[in-house]
Amino acid sequence: MRFALPLVVGCLLAACSVEKTPLVATDVDISRPIPGMQMTAAYFNLTNNTTQAIRITRVTSPDFESVEMHESVLEDGMTRMYALGDLTILAGKTVDFEPGGKHLMLIRPVTDVDSVRLEFHAGKAVVLTVAVPYKE
Amino acid sequence: MGPRNIFIAVIAVVAIATGTWLSYQLMSPPPAPQTATMLPAPAELPEFSLVDHTGRSVRPEVFADHWSLVFFGFTHCPDICPLTMRVLADAKIQLAALNQDPLPRIVLVSVDPERDTPEIMSQYIGYFGDGNLGITGDLDELRKLTNGLGIYFEKSSVDGDDYSVDHSAVVLVMNPAGRFHALFGAPHEAGNFVHDLPIIMKSQ
Repeated sequence: MRFALPLVVGCLLAACSVEKTPLVATDVDISRPIPGMQMTAAYFNLTNNTTQAIRITRVTSPDFESVEMHESVLEDGMTRMYALGDLTILAGKTVDFEPGGKHLMLIRPVTDVDSVRLEFHAGKAVVLTVAVPYKE
Repeated sequence: MGPRNIFIAVIAVVAIATGTWLSYQLMSPPPAPQTATMLPAPAELPEFSLVDHTGRSVRPEVFADHWSLVFFGFTHCPDICPLTMRVLADAKIQLAALNQDPLPRIVLVSVDPERDTPEIMSQYIGYFGDGNLGITGDLDELRKLTNGLGIYFEKSSVDGDDYSVDHSAVVLVMNPAGRFHALFGAPHEAGNFVHDLPIIMKSQ
């Protein structure tokens, strides 16, 4: 089951003054790493509520050594994984991170906590922070 | 019409109905898989020598005596591989609930033997249920198996020092004679396996 709305604690965009939260992650779904494994994936829907495009340049987490934006693609019966250098979400649009498609790869956990904190960066600014418990 | 004639008429109607039903049954084609592709004739596996998740040496005979769902993936894969393994595990659970006998065995053949030791494979396949089989080992021996089955894989760089492995997404079905019997193309859904596997298993 995905979580309906993560806690949004960070927002440094100029559009913060509008009523809606400028960037929202919904249906966040993160499973604990499989025992013995050093990575897991994060899925969610990312919605830009502003009238300007937002370019996510990287995502970090204090709970993992590194976070990478990837996309799995099925081509001619082959599954391939590509790194997404950055991700632009057009004004008013939603980008889905879902199994078999775009996802965050969370690599090497550094904490042993029950929830994961993700920080979405646009250049030097953290434009969204979410904290969600692992899916049971 | 007298009672004797009525009796004869009833017998005649029953005979005609039974004959019609029997001919329909005999002429109807057997149920066919909806998504899987069955090989015209099950194929022998190439020779190979690898190890299973316990470190035991395995050869083509390891596939004998089981119906197996064989996926080629790797444990450092965050998305497609656990997704596919979950689909196969869910299908097996659903087949068990439908009293399917025998149940298929889930087999993960690593396309990343450099990182996938038997110990890691053991932990990984155990997460997706009991009775699963993990196969890894020497890269050259692995190529013998994958090349013989038309499975492709290739190391690729994604970010930083980590690497990924591009690989065929198909799930192969091996029969209890240890032969390659059918295949499921990606994307995978549990319902496809639940529908098609009983039909495939009866086809041997």
